[in-house]
Amino acid sequence: MNRKKSSGFRPVPVLAGRMFRANKGRNLVEMTFRQTGYDAQASIRGLTEEQAGEIAAHPDVKEIGRSIVLGVAENESLAGQSVEIRWADESYAEHSFALPAAGHLPEAKDEIALDTLTLARLGIPCELGQKVTLEWRKDLNSEELTVSEFTLCGFWEGNQSSYASMAWVSRAYADEMTGGRLSADESQVLGLFMTQINLFSDRNIEETMERILADTGNTELEYSVNLAYSPEMGAMARQESLPMYLGMILVFAAGYLIIYNIFQISVTADIQFYGKLKTLGTTTKQLRRLIYGQAGRLCIIGIPAGLIFGWLLGSVLVPVLMGTMEGEAVVSVSLVIFAGSAVFAAATVFISCLRPARLAGKVSPIEALRMSDAGEYRGRRKAGRRPGNASIGAMAWANLWRNKKRTVTVICSLTLGLVLLSCFYAKNAAFDMEKYLADLTIADFTLSDATSGDYTGGYDPHGDTLTESLVQELETMDGVEAVGHQYSARENWQMDGKTLENVAAFYTEDKLADWEEDDSHGAQQLRAALETGETSAVVYGLDGIPLDTITQEQYIMDGKFDAEAFATGSYLLAVGPSVEPGETYPVLPAPSVGSTVDIGGKTYTVMAVVYPLNPVTQLASDKDAPDRFEMSFILPLESFRNTWPDHTLRQMFLNVDDAHIHQVQAYLDEYMETVNPGLPVTSRQTMAEQYEAETRSSAVMGNAVSVVIALVGVLNFINSMVTAIVSRKREFAVIQSVGMTKRQLSRMLAAEGLYYAAITLAASYLISGFAVGVVIQALVAGGFTTFHFTLLPLAVCTPILLVFAVLIPYLCFRNLEKHSIVERLRME
Amino acid sequence: MRALDGIDLDIERGKFTAIIGTSGSGKSTLLNMLGGLDTPSAGSVRVGDTELAGLNSEQATIFRRKQIGFVFQNYNLVPVLSVWENIIFPISLDGRKPDKKFIMKIVKLLGLEKKLDSLPNNLSGGQQQRVAIARALASKPSIILADEPTGNLDSRTSDDVIGLLKMTSQEFRQTIVMITHNPEIAAMADRVVRIEDGRIVA
Repeated sequence: MNRKKSSGFRPVPVLAGRMFRANKGRNLVEMTFRQTGYDAQASIRGLTEEQAGEIAAHPDVKEIGRSIVLGVAENESLAGQSVEIRWADESYAEHSFALPAAGHLPEAKDEIALDTLTLARLGIPCELGQKVTLEWRKDLNSEELTVSEFTLCGFWEGNQSSYASMAWVSRAYADEMTGGRLSADESQVLGLFMTQINLFSDRNIEETMERILADTGNTELEYSVNLAYSPEMGAMARQESLPMYLGMILVFAAGYLIIYNIFQISVTADIQFYGKLKTLGTTTKQLRRLIYGQAGRLCIIGIPAGLIFGWLLGSVLVPVLMGTMEGEAVVSVSLVIFAGSAVFAAATVFISCLRPARLAGKVSPIEALRMSDAGEYRGRRKAGRRPGNASIGAMAWANLWRNKKRTVTVICSLTLGLVLLSCFYAKNAAFDMEKYLADLTIADFTLSDATSGDYTGGYDPHGDTLTESLVQELETMDGVEAVGHQYSARENWQMDGKTLENVAAFYTEDKLADWEEDDSHGAQQLRAALETGETSAVVYGLDGIPLDTITQEQYIMDGKFDAEAFATGSYLLAVGPSVEPGETYPVLPAPSVGSTVDIGGKTYTVMAVVYPLNPVTQLASDKDAPDRFEMSFILPLESFRNTWPDHTLRQMFLNVDDAHIHQVQAYLDEYMETVNPGLPVTSRQTMAEQYEAETRSSAVMGNAVSVVIALVGVLNFINSMVTAIVSRKREFAVIQSVGMTKRQLSRMLAAEGLYYAAITLAASYLISGFAVGVVIQALVAGGFTTFHFTLLPLAVCTPILLVFAVLIPYLCFRNLEKHSIVERLRME
Repeated sequence: MRALDGIDLDIERGKFTAIIGTSGSGKSTLLNMLGGLDTPSAGSVRVGDTELAGLNSEQATIFRRKQIGFVFQNYNLVPVLSVWENIIFPISLDGRKPDKKFIMKIVKLLGLEKKLDSLPNNLSGGQQQRVAIARALASKPSIILADEPTGNLDSRTSDDVIGLLKMTSQEFRQTIVMITHNPEIAAMADRVVRIEDGRIVA
């Protein structure tokens, strides 16, 4: 009987274990490596080759990678993607995830190695020997282009999440371009010598680096620690994997509970048999061995079955779950995982049967003959005689507590599963896609000039990506609901006294110090601006969607927006600081509302200060912009066009009704294929899909864990109900023989099940209500979330559980009925 | 294989009938059929005006709890119910109100007054069997069917139990059919039926 019971459940823990393992390879740190572009612990830029040699010779340094930067490829088809032309040695290339998978690193002067993404952009097939032409500028301050032709000598799989691609050239080419001169300061990109330093340990990277620099006498060098190794990242990684590990522990705990339960039940059911064995002279040890033997047999059957099932499921499910995340397939089918799962499962089984084995070993022959799972009821009622109280409900209630421990275990494990499910669900449901997208895009489609997002080369206000015909075509397409335009210009601007005061008051020394920590350059710019009052005014001309969005109530930080007055052209909007939206400050680092500002030879009155909405204001600086603090202003489109008539459209916004989104997308796809592959397009839909694809695995994981736990709970519930009924066969025959009808008996059993379910549900609703309302609400606060109190999974599970509670006893009872009362009465 | 074959037996109302026979002779089958627990594959069983062979299991159960009081060798008490609840169990299953005065009379007769709140597992074998007898009598059945009621009891207790059974049945005018191995108990009966290999031999 026990074998039949157990083997069906074996795959559950094994399967769960597998799913986790498959996911473990892809952690946050690895992702960050890919984003920062390298996996060495630290890097130093702007040093000499001698210094690099000294550092490399230090005993704490494991390996050093060297690279010389030449410039950034400026081919039109590469617009929007940063392709750095560099020489690198093998170590540098390897630790930058850019070691050619096919071919080799460049050796001859005209050789080049690129990643597949860049090749695709250039429209060059991934074949060695292809001709590659790159355009770049030796001096970023001049317009003079260098055009070089190379032969492709190697390529590797490109990575979408890293912010720059590498174009490796030979040392000979690099030396020719730099003339052998390395630039020590960062003002010139050409000839910048960079090293990546691999250390033996990930701990105390800063201390180690200080020591290395001190030992080699190079204390003047500035090093930076790889972001992926920073303590914050470690904490984040832990935070990310914590629920995962927690879930893992829970699944194993649940697995343990169910296996323990099965053994406990089978041992209690067979306890009389063990008692008899003992009377016949079986020793305690032999009895225990008997139970372990049973467990062993279970493992031999169950574990291979579970592994095969898990493998099948893993190879089918995991790729689906992991979605579109780029690069390496993490479905590792390694022997270690399988062996580990097997050992873990076996360990779970044996640990689970420790107690039952002891119970069986300890049994005294006489006691065993009296005891049975059903017969342990020896409590004494406290309540006095209650005549007529042998009601079916009361009996069912009493039956429930005959095996208190088991009932509590089952209720706990079911409740646990349900509570977790509710929590995961509430947490996921709290994510607000609108909020998330609002931060990234404000329209269904956003088209930009190719240089609009070029943070290295700078924005060219005379760009020609958004041609008149394209704009007209798009604006007249079917389904277009709203459009919007954005132009931009930059000019030098001297802060007036009041504005300077505002800025100084907002950026207190504390804030500046904070700022200096993560962006020393920006803080320095501000310090300079505070001293001289010299800034760049970035002026945006807006109409339609961007203007309507940024002037929404929640984005007005100060003042009041009056659309009609604004349209007259005598007002402008100042852009405020990037702080948490909704917070209020006594003073904002912008011209005060009501004051006047001179821009482009005209005088405007400041109407309001608005929030720096990312899609509108977080754009690249102009290409000729001096290195100084920037303040942004917004003008009505007309005023802007009057002042800067030769500036071209920078961004175009388009809202399309749902029915036509695909049509517009198809048009844009076609346009990019046939006319301009470098047209930067942001689509809200694609972004939402991308986000969903990226987070799907973790969302699915969380739900899978709670479903597995809930499933284990349900199995426990079924198991416990079934045994409770089967082990009371005889008792049922007794009460039937003294006059309980089948109907009454089924009603009693159903009542038992319903009590079970009711207690579980009551506990689940209470605990989930608290967990979701308090814990989850606190957990999801901030970020892109809107908390809604929801217990939907519980509501869904309630009828299921209730149906089970009635159905299982019914089925068991039907099964019992196969034997007549007389037969069952004779059973022992 | 037939458990019972060619049986033709009339049991007189209000009398104490003992059934004796070796193990496997068919005594229990006969008793179970009288109580509607088993149905004959052929033939007829009549109790009063009721033809038991024609009842479905649900009707048989209801007949049982109204007409029959069963006393088993191993007591068959419900472990989660107290002594009192066990005694009134068949009555409450029938949805009737127990006749408290009458039941208390039985309880006193059987000496169980102090044990009414106890659970069966806390009682001795003799006490448990007395509870079982009280349960069998409580619904005022016309027939008491007892399957070796003293099989698990020592001789003194079993004399007590049989004495009690006899006394109560006389008091309440009930028919007793009892299986026993004990010739002494059989000797106390009004009539002894001997069964061998499914046939009545005496």
